[in-house]
This record gives sequence, structure tokens and C-alpha cells, in this order.
Amino acid sequence: MNRDRILTTLALLGGVIFLSPVLYSIWISFQTANAYYTHGLEFTFNNYTKAIGDFGFARYLLNSLIVSGVVTVGGLFIATIAAFAFARFTFRGNNLLFGAVVTTLMIPSHISLIPNYLSLAKVGLLDSYAGLILPAMANGFAAFFLRQYIRGIPRALDEAAYMDGASHMQVFWRVIVPVARPAVLSMGLFIFISEWNNYIWPLIATGKRDMYTLQVGLARLYQTNPGEGFLDWPLIMAASTITLLPVLIGFLLVERHFVRGITMGAVK
Amino acid sequence: MLRKLPPYLMVAPLMLFIALFTYIPILTSLDLSFRAWDFLSPDRPWVGFENYQRLFASHSFWQALWVTTLFVVISVPLRLGLALAIASFLLRETMASRILRGALFLPYVTSTVSIAVVFSWVFSTDFGLVNGVLGALGLPRPSWLQDPMLALWVIIIVNTWKQLGYDIIIYIAGLQAIPVELYDAAAVDGGRKAHVFRRITVPLVMPTTYFLLVISVIEAFQIFTIVDVMTHGGPAGATNMLVVELYKIGFSLFDIGQGSALAVILFVLLVVLAFVKSYVIGRKVHYES
Repeated sequence: MNRDRILTTLALLGGVIFLSPVLYSIWISFQTANAYYTHGLEFTFNNYTKAIGDFGFARYLLNSLIVSGVVTVGGLFIATIAAFAFARFTFRGNNLLFGAVVTTLMIPSHISLIPNYLSLAKVGLLDSYAGLILPAMANGFAAFFLRQYIRGIPRALDEAAYMDGASHMQVFWRVIVPVARPAVLSMGLFIFISEWNNYIWPLIATGKRDMYTLQVGLARLYQTNPGEGFLDWPLIMAASTITLLPVLIGFLLVERHFVRGITMGAVK
Repeated sequence: MLRKLPPYLMVAPLMLFIALFTYIPILTSLDLSFRAWDFLSPDRPWVGFENYQRLFASHSFWQALWVTTLFVVISVPLRLGLALAIASFLLRETMASRILRGALFLPYVTSTVSIAVVFSWVFSTDFGLVNGVLGALGLPRPSWLQDPMLALWVIIIVNTWKQLGYDIIIYIAGLQAIPVELYDAAAVDGGRKAHVFRRITVPLVMPTTYFLLVISVIEAFQIFTIVDVMTHGGPAGATNMLVVELYKIGFSLFDIGQGSALAVILFVLLVVLAFVKSYVIGRKVHYES
């Protein structure tokens, strides 16, 4: 009993030490620059109002939400319905097409950076939501993972629905999606987090400040050094907190789904 | 006829996006790697292997290859070793273990840019956390990110800190698959802990180790974000990784031909690794599904 409590306290301590860089950075974000550099203590919310207002983080936050939201909902739908078709229908080219999907898991995304930049520039989609969203819409891993999951769902469920006169789409929405919900949720969370944290593509696809995502906005803020000589660390830490907190909170709410998602994906 | 259509309609969006943004770009990259183009001029003359030759003649390409290899060779074993050691401590489902797992896993889902920015502060020379502690202990305060000997180590530390939680979670899943009877038998025989770890845990968790090894090598070869934010590949190229070099050639110098040649080389390198991965995992990993 007592031993458990000691271990738990030690674990908490260990966790805090491990996370201390991030925790301390959040602490700094509430200090005035003056106090920070003179080792004093003076608290303020100004860094947040400055980051959100003067440095455009409200706009970046909106951009990140739109891009990650659309990629998640769209990508999840596209992957799930394809997974349904691959799992449940025999059609000419099924294996070939599925093979093409699985192969994308081996293909490093960096090969497409230059061509995607060129083709989106050609059709005038750089610096647009479409340009940020479209290249991220196909998720081969989600399609692969969901197909495996759907194959594990008893066919009797589909057949019963078909007997009742359901169409393919009805079976998809009323049977497959509800039964596969844990897997679909895990994948959705996975897609959202990776898209939220995506850096290299938004970096390349956006030139105008209005279209920056949080990641690009934060990197630019840090690199352009708003503190004239000294970095304004408290301001930068406020911006950094805005960038990492939404995903962190969302993750803590649904942690179990996410962890199950990655272990299922890996240990199989 | 109509009855045949639905499955094709259902896979069509996925296949379309994959074709447009994965497969066609591979062919485009290959084509562009044989052309000279600066993105602005109207024509893209065919130059054969010239882009590759220029790449192989450039100092920064070999430096990037060397630095990336160094990064992979140091960071991957470090990550896996630490992760296995920690995972075997966190195996039991206690409150303490759950708290620590959560704390160790958080960086993995957190924004890499945020982490890179936070650690730029942690390792900054004058106001950083590390030098603050070193100074208080009366130790020298190095310029971590400006010193070519140290900058790569900082990148390795930050990357390890971020990725460790993932490795630990996978290792825990792997360790839990080892039959308890083996440990019981070892306990009956009076095996010491270190001995049991070396003779039972390490060999039996090998499939997981192979899996993580190949995955993290593939991933480490593509490191970009931490380096771009923290050092830009500097100082003096000490952290100039392959993707950083690709970004510079392609999107700072707009040398599309040479950038594409580098992309093709990276592609070949990683696809070879991916085949090793499916071979290794097909051969060595036997989990029930």
C-alpha cells in the first residue's frame, strides 16, 4: 500500500522532470520579458494577446484548424470507404489496387515535394487551403489498417442488412462504420495529429503570412527574432504553447484510442 | 452492369489522390532529375546524368550523407536501448507505470516545431536551462548550437526525447507477449535480474527490436523539422541532413534538376530500406493478429 504511494510519487516526479523543458516553457510564457531577463518575477497575459493579435497566431490557429479538420474528415472518409470496398467486394483489380495502396507506405513523401510544388504552382493553388489540403488527402496507412479491421467484422452482419434490403451505402454507414468505430476513431486522431504537426509541406506551399499554419508561423516567429538583439523568449513560448496545447488536450482526452491505434498498427 | 460499379466508385477517390500526389510525382521527379531547370526559364533541356554528377561532385552532398548516417548510427541504438530498459521497468499495470508511460509518450504527439523551439531555448548559450544549471554548478557553459562538435548531439538528444515514448509503447506491447512461464522458470532456477534480462528478455523481444530498428532507421534518414528550426543545418554544415540539403537545393536555390536528383537518390535509399523492412518483418516477426 505505502510502497505503491511512494512509487506513484516517484513516477510523478520522474514525469515532471522529463517534461520539465515544456512545462518550464509554459511557465515562461506568462512572464514579462523584463522579468525574465532580470531574473525577477512578474506575470502577464500580454505575451498571449501579442502572439494572437500582433503576430497573427489567431489566423494561423484558424488555418491549422481548417486544414487539419478537412484533412481528417475527408481523409478518413476516403480511406474508410475504400477499405470497405477492398475488404468486402471481389472486383477485377482489387489486389492490384490494394497493392498500390500498401506500396505508398514504403514511399518516402519527400520524393513528391518538388513535383507537388510545381503542379500546384501551375494551377495556382499555392497559398490556398486547397494547396495545403489536397496532397494530404490520401492516407494509405489508414486505408490499409481499416481494411484489416473491417475484414475481422463478421460478414453475417452485412448479409443480414442486405437481406433487409439495405444498399451498399446503407451497409457502409449503418453496419460497418458503427462496428469499426474504435479503429476509425483511432485513425482519425492519428490523421489529425500528424496533419496538425505537419511542417515541411505547409512551409513549402505557403509564402503569404495569411496562409501560414501554426507550425510555420511559430518557426518564422522564432527565426525572425522579434526581440531586437535578444530573443523575446516569453513571447515565443506563448506562441509555442498555443501551437502545442490544442493537440495535447485533445490527445489526453482520447489517449487510449491513440495508443491502441499505434500498437495495433505496429504489432501485427 | 450497375451492380459492378460500387466498389470502383468507393476506391476511386483514394486511388485518384494516390495517383496524383504519390505515383505521378515519382515519375515527374525522375524526369526532372535529368533536366536543367531553375523554375523560371521556359524550357527544361535534357542534360542526362549531369545533375547527378554535379551532386556527386559537391562537398555538401557528401557531408549531408555523412552527417545523416552519423545521426542514424548514433540515435537509433540510443533510442532502442533506452526504450527497452525503460519499457521493462514500466511493464506492470500500476498507477506509477501508467503515469510515467503517459509522460514519456506526450512528446511524441506534440508539435515538433514547438519542441524544437523549446529546446533551442533549453540549449541557448546565455539564457538557457542547461547552461543555467551548469553555471550554478560552476561548470563551463558551452555554446551548444554554435559548436560543430556539439550541435549534432543536441539534435540527437532532442530527437530521442521526442521519439522515445513511441519506442517504449511498442516495446511494452512486445514484452507483454513473452510468456510469463519463462520468467517463472528463471526465478525457480534462481537467475539474477541482469542475467534474466540478457538471456530471456532481450532474445525474446528481438522481433520487436527488428521492427523498431528498421522503422526508426527509415524515419531518422528523413529528419528535417528539428534541424530546420534549431540549426538550419549549421554550424558549418555539422547538422546538414539529406532532407535539409534537398530543401536548400530545391526551394532556396531553385535548382529543380539537382534537387530532383537528390530526391531520387533519397527515394532509392529509403525504398531499399523499406524492402529490408518487409523482408525482416515477414521473416522475423510472428505475432498473432
